[in-house]
Amino acid sequence: MIPIQHGRVSLALHPLREGAGRPLLCLHAVGGSARDFRDAAQRWPGPAFGLDFSGHGDSQPLRGGGYFPENLAGDADAALARIGPALLLGAGIGAYVALLLAGARPDAVAGALLLPGAGLEGGGAAPDPASNTLARWTDFAAPPPGCDPAVRRLERDIRPPEYAEAFARAARGLLLAEGDFPQPPWWQAIRSSGAASPAPGDLEAGLARLATFPIR
Amino acid sequence: MTEPQHPGAVAPERSRFFLSDGVRLRVDEWGDPSAPPLVLLHGAFDHGRGFDLLAPLLASRFHVQALTSRGHGDSEWVDSYAWWSDVCDVVNLLRSLGRPVQLVGHSRGGGQATDAALWAPELVRQLVNIDGFGPPPEGFAPPGVPLDRRPPPPRFRDHLDRRRRSSGRSWRPYPSLEDLVERRREQNPRLSREWLRYFLFHGAREVEGGWIWKTDPEFAGGFGPWKPEWIGASWKGLRMPMLAMVGTEPDTWRLDDAVASERLANVPQLARAAVPGAGHFVHMERPRETADALLGFLAP
Repeated sequence: MIPIQHGRVSLALHPLREGAGRPLLCLHAVGGSARDFRDAAQRWPGPAFGLDFSGHGDSQPLRGGGYFPENLAGDADAALARIGPALLLGAGIGAYVALLLAGARPDAVAGALLLPGAGLEGGGAAPDPASNTLARWTDFAAPPPGCDPAVRRLERDIRPPEYAEAFARAARGLLLAEGDFPQPPWWQAIRSSGAASPAPGDLEAGLARLATFPIR
Repeated sequence: MTEPQHPGAVAPERSRFFLSDGVRLRVDEWGDPSAPPLVLLHGAFDHGRGFDLLAPLLASRFHVQALTSRGHGDSEWVDSYAWWSDVCDVVNLLRSLGRPVQLVGHSRGGGQATDAALWAPELVRQLVNIDGFGPPPEGFAPPGVPLDRRPPPPRFRDHLDRRRRSSGRSWRPYPSLEDLVERRREQNPRLSREWLRYFLFHGAREVEGGWIWKTDPEFAGGFGPWKPEWIGASWKGLRMPMLAMVGTEPDTWRLDDAVASERLANVPQLARAAVPGAGHFVHMERPRETADALLGFLAP
């Protein structure tokens, strides 16, 4: 495990596969951890790393519980600062974080493969006054095992489609998993904008396609 | 350095710490604890002692309690700041008081008071928002800081660059309290040096090499999607009377009247008050007039 720092929080970056070549950084879903990618990492042709987001796995929780996607993107950016230019594999909230990072740092992120998982949806495309309630932010029923219960806030933040689309257009390459899962408005927007392509076939084929994206 | 004095400023009669989601928050109190509770919320980069002028003028009728928000003043720092964390803190405080309150907030605290009133209407009898109606559609334009009109991705890249540089950073000490006063005067030229000396004494601490802000340097480091049209729409759901208070003087941080009115048109039970001679910091610039307007609006 490689300890890295984001702000005052210590995070765990796990080497998942040794090797030479272009690194893969894996970003897990809400309630997950880097371990979720142990098998996937073996199908990558180069070195692979998995990050435990704050509040998850071996990383510290956020004092005060201020979890939101852009903060997790800062976690992932701290990992990127450590391993250098990389490709991203993200599931659920990790997919949304991968989109944000790929759009913000096209110089360091050659591409990303986005998969479904917990936290993919977020809290909708715009604030809904009727559901903008205290319970929205404090109901931590059934917290994911081994996690800070407040990470459930990562299922409630607002993700406007045009905000996601701006990041998709700024990214160098995005692959979206196909399949039978609920596609939130932000996912549909980047899919229909042409800024992202459908990933071919299964995970193995998706990773093989991702591996062809050139790093600058 | 001895504590500065200021005419009309009354230090809290009692102070305590309140635990919200594990975070220690300072609450300053004035008035009879059996009187009806009135809660005050300050603005960004301020702290509860900014109410030392207003609170004593309300304390004859109310049990006044000023909450200092996380990362500010003597309240604890956290690892990540978000708007709704503060709103949760407010609601947690209101819940702990055991009876519905009169809730008053200034600037950012006014916006958060309004959200708290939406989230927990059963805990708020009446709401007062002092010039906390959100930023202008194009954002606030403080002196010398050009508006950033770029799309979100490059702005987020800059934000991430700052996060990388800021890990573990602390404030640069100013040589003296007077230097902090002058720094703050650049942002708020309407506030007198005498008042700022009093106010900043409690918002800064003396360290080796000078004075530093108590505010967490990581505060205001957030980034996320936001649209001006999101502000105001939810106010249709306010179930209690709301007083919207502004000053009459131009101020960088004062929202344009037309924009404020458009947003406030959503409030079902709206009263308005304008305090002559005040800019954005209405309760600091004109505490007596602010108190009179509040006491006229607030039910016994």
